[in-house]
Amino acid sequence: MSFVSYAMILAGGLGSRLCILSEKRAKPAVPFGGKYRIIDFSLSNCVNSGIYDVGILTQYRPLSLRDHIGIGRPWDLDRKRGGVELLQPFQGWAETDWYRGTADAIQQNWIRVEEREAEHLLVLSGDHVYRMDYRPMIEAHLASGADATIAIAQVPREEARGFGVVDLDGEDRVQGFVEKPASPPSGNISMGVYVFRTSALHAMLREDAERDTAHDFGRNILPAMVGSGHVQGFRHDGYWQDIGTLDSYYRANLDLLRPDPPFPLEDPRWPIFTPSTEFPPARIGMRAEVRASILTHGTIVNGIVERSVLFPGAVVEEGATVRDSIVMGETWVGPLAEIRHSILDKRVHVGPRARVGYGTDLTPNRSCPEHLSSGITIVGKETRIPEGVTIGRNCRVSANLIEEDFPEDTVPSGGVMERELNVAH
Amino acid sequence: MTAIPPVLVLVLAGGRSDALRALGRIRTASALPYGGKYRVIDFTLSNCVHSGLNRIGILTQYAPLSLHGHIGIGRAWDLDRRDGGIRLLQPYVRQRETNWYRGTADALLQNRNVIEDAQARHILVLSGDLVYKMDYAELIRFHEEHDAALTLVTVTAPSDEPERYGYVHADRSGRVSGLEEKPKRAGGGAVSGAIYAFRAKELMDRLRRPGAGPDLVCDVIQPMIAEKTRVFAYPHRGYWRDIGTVESYYESNMDLVRPAPPLNLYDPDWLIYTPSEDRSPAVFGVEAAASQSLVSHGARVEGTVRRSVLFPGVHVGPGAVVEDSIVMHDTRIGSGARLRRAIVDKRVVIGAGALVGQAEGSAEDSRGAAAPGLCVIGKGSVIPASTRIGPDALIEIGVSERDFPGREIAAGSVVRPTGRLAAARGVNGGSG
Repeated sequence: MSFVSYAMILAGGLGSRLCILSEKRAKPAVPFGGKYRIIDFSLSNCVNSGIYDVGILTQYRPLSLRDHIGIGRPWDLDRKRGGVELLQPFQGWAETDWYRGTADAIQQNWIRVEEREAEHLLVLSGDHVYRMDYRPMIEAHLASGADATIAIAQVPREEARGFGVVDLDGEDRVQGFVEKPASPPSGNISMGVYVFRTSALHAMLREDAERDTAHDFGRNILPAMVGSGHVQGFRHDGYWQDIGTLDSYYRANLDLLRPDPPFPLEDPRWPIFTPSTEFPPARIGMRAEVRASILTHGTIVNGIVERSVLFPGAVVEEGATVRDSIVMGETWVGPLAEIRHSILDKRVHVGPRARVGYGTDLTPNRSCPEHLSSGITIVGKETRIPEGVTIGRNCRVSANLIEEDFPEDTVPSGGVMERELNVAH
Repeated sequence: MTAIPPVLVLVLAGGRSDALRALGRIRTASALPYGGKYRVIDFTLSNCVHSGLNRIGILTQYAPLSLHGHIGIGRAWDLDRRDGGIRLLQPYVRQRETNWYRGTADALLQNRNVIEDAQARHILVLSGDLVYKMDYAELIRFHEEHDAALTLVTVTAPSDEPERYGYVHADRSGRVSGLEEKPKRAGGGAVSGAIYAFRAKELMDRLRRPGAGPDLVCDVIQPMIAEKTRVFAYPHRGYWRDIGTVESYYESNMDLVRPAPPLNLYDPDWLIYTPSEDRSPAVFGVEAAASQSLVSHGARVEGTVRRSVLFPGVHVGPGAVVEDSIVMHDTRIGSGARLRRAIVDKRVVIGAGALVGQAEGSAEDSRGAAAPGLCVIGKGSVIPASTRIGPDALIEIGVSERDFPGREIAAGSVVRPTGRLAAARGVNGGSG
C-alpha cells in the first residue's frame, strides 16, 4: 500500500501550438481518439492506479473542461471522501492571483495538500496520451527515499528538444534537468509525471515564489531540486505521446488506426473512462465504405471513410469522402464533399461538393508557418463552408465563419480565413 | 411540457417468452439486447422520462438478474432521485400468503401498497418488452379530457402473426365497445398496444374485487368494457413492435438498418437512454467492408458486415462475412467464417471458417425464394471451426465444441449442451 493518495493535474495550459483547437478550450479538453478528451488518460490512470482523490488546476478557458469533468462520475470520482475538484484561481485576503506558472498554481492551492497531511504528492500533466500504473513508480520513490521522482520516457535525441531532458547516472539518479534544450544531452525526457516528498516540494515552492522566475515545474522547480536534493528517475516503457503541436495531435490520432496500434484504446484491464454520449450506435449506410477508421456512437456514414477518426454525431453524406482526417462531434460533411488531411472541429458544416485539404501544394500557412506546414488543414468550431468551395493544404479556417465569410471559391494552400481579415479587405 | 397530474408508472417486465427460444431463457424479454446498445426496456423508460414521468415501479419475476443489473439505481435515465425514481418490484415472502405473480393483474394486486402509497390519480401500466417512442403526457391529457376510467393505446396491427394481438372495437369518439384477444381470424385494424392509463381508484377497485382473476386483460379490462365503464382508445400512429418472438425481435432490429428506418434513434429531443459501457470507439480494419449496419463501441471489424447489428465488443475476423444478422456483446467471429440470418447471443465463439445459417449446397444467397428460418446461437456457445450450420437451427446456451455431433448441422436441428457442465452453465443464470 502506497502513501500517496492525492494527485494534482496541471491542466491550465494555453496550448497555443494547437492552433484553433485550443482557441476555445484548454489543451487537456481537446477531443481525442473519437470519444475522449486528452485529460481522460491522466484521470483514468489515476483511478486505475487506485488514486481517487484528484485536484485539477485550471486557468485558461476552463469551461469546456469543467463541463467534461462535471462531478467526476465517469471516473467514479463523485465520492464523499476524495473525488475530483477543479482548482481555478480565486481571490482571497492575501497572496492570491492568477496562476503565474504551474508551480505557482500548486503553491496557491497548497492548503489542499496540507489538509490531506500527505507525505508525498503525485503531480501530473493533463495533456499527454499514455497508460501508466503509477503504483510501481510510487513504490520506487518511497524505496529510494528521494525528494522527487520523475517518470522518464525515451525518445530519439533529436526529438528531445521540445521536452524537459534528464541526465541520468548509472543508478537512474537525476544529475541534470534542462527544459527544452537546443542540443539535448540525451533522449531521456520527463513525462510530466512526478512524485514529490511533500516537505521538499513545499520548501522549493516557497523559495521559488519569492524569486522572479517563470514559476514553472520544468524550468525552475525541477532543475533547482536536482541541484539541491535527491531526484530519482523512473523509466516508463509504454506508449507516451505529448499532444503539444498540431502535428503530434494529428499523428497520435492516426496512430490509433494502424493495424497493430501502438496505443490500443480498448484494453479491459486499463479502460479509459470518459462521459458517454447518448447517441445510438454508428450507422453505416447502403453505399458506404469504411476502412482503417474509428467510428463512435452517433456517427452516420453514407459516403467513404478511410484512415480517419469520426467523433460522436459526425455525419458523412452520400458520395462524400473523408480520408486521413479527424472529424469531431456533430460535424456534417455534405454530399460529394471531399475531406483530406484535415482536422474539422465540432459542428463544422461542409457544404455539398466542397473540398477541404485539397491538392499537393504544401505552401506553409501564411500566419503560423511553424505549426502548419506538414499539409494539415484545420477548420474551427461551427464554421460553415459553402457549397463547392475548395480549401487547400496547410490552411487555417477560423471558428464560427459563415458562408458569406468566403468571398472566393478557393482558399489556396497556406491560406488563412478569419472574419476580421475579410472586413479589412 | 405542461404539468400533468400525479401518475404512477408500473412496467410489467417479468414475463417469460418461450417463443424467444435460447434468447429468452436467460432473461425476460424486456432485458433483451436491442439495436446495438440498448435493452428493450430502455424505450419504455426513456419514454417515461421524456414525458416527465419519474415515479416508476418495474414488476419483475422471470430471470430478473439481467434486468436488475441493467437498471441499477436508474442513473442512466436520471431516475436516481430522492422523490420518485425507479423501484424494482420482485415478488416477496409475506407473513400470511406468499405467491409468485400469477398474472399481470395479480402482480399489480400484490403491489397494492406501492399503488396506494403513491397517491397517484392515474396508473400507467406499461409493458417493458415493446419498442416504440411515445409521449405519455399526451396520453394522460387525452385520458383526463375524456374522463376515462381506462384509456388503452391502440396501434395498427403489424402484418405478421395477427393471432398474437387483441383487436379493439371503438366508435368514432374513441369509446371502446370490445376487445377481442387473439382471435382465430385476423380482425384487421386497431389492436391493443398493451399501454394502459387507468384511473387509480378504478384499477384498485377492480383488482380487489373478490374472486377477481389474475390477468389484466381478461379479468380487468374486458369486464370493464362489458360493463360499459368509460374505456377509450388512444391511437398511436408511430412505430410499435412487440418483440416477443425470435422473428419479431429479428425484424424489429432489421428495421433499424433499412435505408429509411421507421424508428429514428437519432432524434436529439427523444434519445433513448441506456447505461453506457466504457468501451473504445468501433475500429474498422484496412480490409473491412461495412454497409447498412449498426456498429457499437468496442466492436472491431476486419471482415465484411452487411445489413447487421453489431453490439459492443463484437469482433469480426479477417475475411469473415456477417450478413442479415444480429451479433451480441463480445462475440468473436473467426476469420473466414460466414453468418447469415443468424441471431448470436453474447460471448459466443464462432470458429474460423464456420458457416452459420447457410443453406446446403450453395453458400450464396437464394434471392427470390422465401427467406430461410433464423439461426439462433445461445449465450456463451462455441462453434467449432469449419462447422456448417443450416438455416433455422438452434444452438442452445453454453454448448461447447465437444457437444457437436459432427461438422454438419442440418437445417432446423437443435444442438444442446451435454455432460455435467451443461446444467451449471446458463439455464438458471438469469444474468444475460
